[in-house]
Amino acid sequence: MANVLKVKELSKQYSKVLAADKVSFEIGEGEIFALIGPNGAGKTTTIRMISTLLTPTSGDAVVAGYSIKKNPEKVRENITYLPDEAGAYKQMTGIKYLRFMAGLFVSDLDRINACVDRAKNICGLGDRLNDKIGSYSRGMIRKLLLARAVMTKPKLAILDEPTSGLDVLNAIEIRKMIRKLAEEEGMSFLLSSHNMLEIEFVSDRVGIISKGHLMVTGRTDELKERYSAPNLEEVFERVVKENEVH
Amino acid sequence: MKFINLLKKELSELINAQMIFGLVISLSLFFIMGNVMQSVTDELKEDSTHPKVNICDLDDTELTKDLISSLKESCEKVNIISVQGENYAAPMNGSDIKGYVVIPKGFTESVEKGEKSELISVNKVKSASMFSSLTGGTDGTIALINSFVTSRLAEQKGLSHDDLSTLESPVTITENTVVADKSAKISVSSVLGKITMQNMLLPIIILVLIMMTSQSLIASISNEKIDKTLETLLSTPVSRGTVITAKMLAAAIVAMINAGVMMIGFSAYSKGMTSAITSDLPGDVSVSDAIGGLTSTNDAFRQLGLSLGAFDYVLVGVQLFVTIMICLALSIILGALVNDSKSAQTMLLPIMMMVMIPWFVSMFTDVNALPTVPKLIVNAIPFTHTFTAIPNLMFGNMKEFWTGFVYQLIIFAVVMFFALKLFKSDKILTMSLNFGQKSRFRKSSKTTED
Repeated sequence: MANVLKVKELSKQYSKVLAADKVSFEIGEGEIFALIGPNGAGKTTTIRMISTLLTPTSGDAVVAGYSIKKNPEKVRENITYLPDEAGAYKQMTGIKYLRFMAGLFVSDLDRINACVDRAKNICGLGDRLNDKIGSYSRGMIRKLLLARAVMTKPKLAILDEPTSGLDVLNAIEIRKMIRKLAEEEGMSFLLSSHNMLEIEFVSDRVGIISKGHLMVTGRTDELKERYSAPNLEEVFERVVKENEVH
Repeated sequence: MKFINLLKKELSELINAQMIFGLVISLSLFFIMGNVMQSVTDELKEDSTHPKVNICDLDDTELTKDLISSLKESCEKVNIISVQGENYAAPMNGSDIKGYVVIPKGFTESVEKGEKSELISVNKVKSASMFSSLTGGTDGTIALINSFVTSRLAEQKGLSHDDLSTLESPVTITENTVVADKSAKISVSSVLGKITMQNMLLPIIILVLIMMTSQSLIASISNEKIDKTLETLLSTPVSRGTVITAKMLAAAIVAMINAGVMMIGFSAYSKGMTSAITSDLPGDVSVSDAIGGLTSTNDAFRQLGLSLGAFDYVLVGVQLFVTIMICLALSIILGALVNDSKSAQTMLLPIMMMVMIPWFVSMFTDVNALPTVPKLIVNAIPFTHTFTAIPNLMFGNMKEFWTGFVYQLIIFAVVMFFALKLFKSDKILTMSLNFGQKSRFRKSSKTTED
């Protein structure tokens, strides 16, 4: 399995705080990798560096063969990023927003239409797409943004808390959609979430990050066996406590 | 294609129903104000060309009867009023009379004795407005009575009409005004009056333009930060330079639309204010002096070199463009500091101050004539040179004009350099200004560290 993302000792220093310290991991084609960790652990900083929003203090990451430091624009052609609590332009209608965002990734009108049609099917908002986003509920906005994130078929979709704001049924639907896109279309995902149940269900591998350090990575079942834990939540607890002891 | 897509999005955000509604309202207000001013100036013209006399004759002698007959010859309408005692307000109640003159008892006796005689002038004040005192007053009537009494006194003393004219104005004054090395036969008050009227428009347009442009761009950047759409936008395959150029261009287009509407509105307003005065009005009428001596000054302006040519207007336009660019570059930096809607409002304050100070200073004094230290301080504000551009071009202060222009270009280059550096760095996502908080990093660290 070829690597879509290879993170090599990525670090970020904010004045006195080391937010990410030599973080290294890889994501293969069609693989779903989840970064989990407590608040302030460095998840969002790592994700923002990979998304080329922040410049790393040291280290590098290669996305689809392009370095985030040397070729950030090429990297952005191959990724989509959905930030946690992201919003959309409230004065636009849902369909206009999808068309606008598709136009930033592709220039050809037929390809733009294809992206928009795909997003329409994925988000399932139907006629509400003709309404202004300002009238949408939080869950509807999240569905629209998720559809936007996958409509261009990126090599790597980076989703920060993908199901935040969604009810149980919608969250299940989104998890199934992520799995389907990875299995059937070979799309790779880098997720970040606090919801361990979600991570256990949806991800192929996880990375536990605490105080800027990536403590451990591995398949969910491997980690459960290694830490003799019945679920990922307890694996997470033991890894974080182990880190505190050492 | 991607740039056009971004520009369309920025324009659709800025040009919305509220903005168009606001512009229509502003334009309508200017047209209404123009019509109101035209009705006031029409009234002034009517008063000066067809004076109305309201008079109360308490003396009731042959002389006062002759006086009223004389008034009837020179005025279209003479209205005789009766007054009981000193109740001067009674004749005005329920009527449209704005003023009248009372000839008191003993008036004729004083005239016949060759003594100074007394007249009582009664005027009604309806409002505090500047023009309310210019219409329908008693000045014209008093002037006519003075002229009549002077003639009678001259007859008594055996003086001819020519002798009387020489006595009334023993000295003839020919007023000349000098600008640089040119001079023209015109009074200083007339020159200044016309300059004030001409230059009233541009500073207000500059003010509106700068405020609108800044507000648009600060709102555009701060809304992206507050609504958390900026991260998504910056993670798309579009360079940050393209994003910021689209934002700046959209704000500039909207500013130009606003400026255009303001110019049309102000032109309608100014036309309404001056049309009646500048047409067919005799030059020696007192009303025109009150407005600032607007008549017959065009030739004098040309002689004095105060008329601006096409090239001068091109220079003013270019400088206005540079001003907008400085404003846009500053707005990028200020917009990047915003972290909530409240601070978005506060961010407009520095630009507001930088506009208001030179506007007020240039309105009340000549910036070039200020003492060195205040002059340096005022000139350090880049927008000062936009306000002084037209006066500098009018009075041939080309050194001051070009120095100001070059200074603005330098300021633009410096501010734009920092604005682009900021927008292309991490700071556009991590920087914020939290007033009244001990540690600004502590609050933002939650999002930056996570």
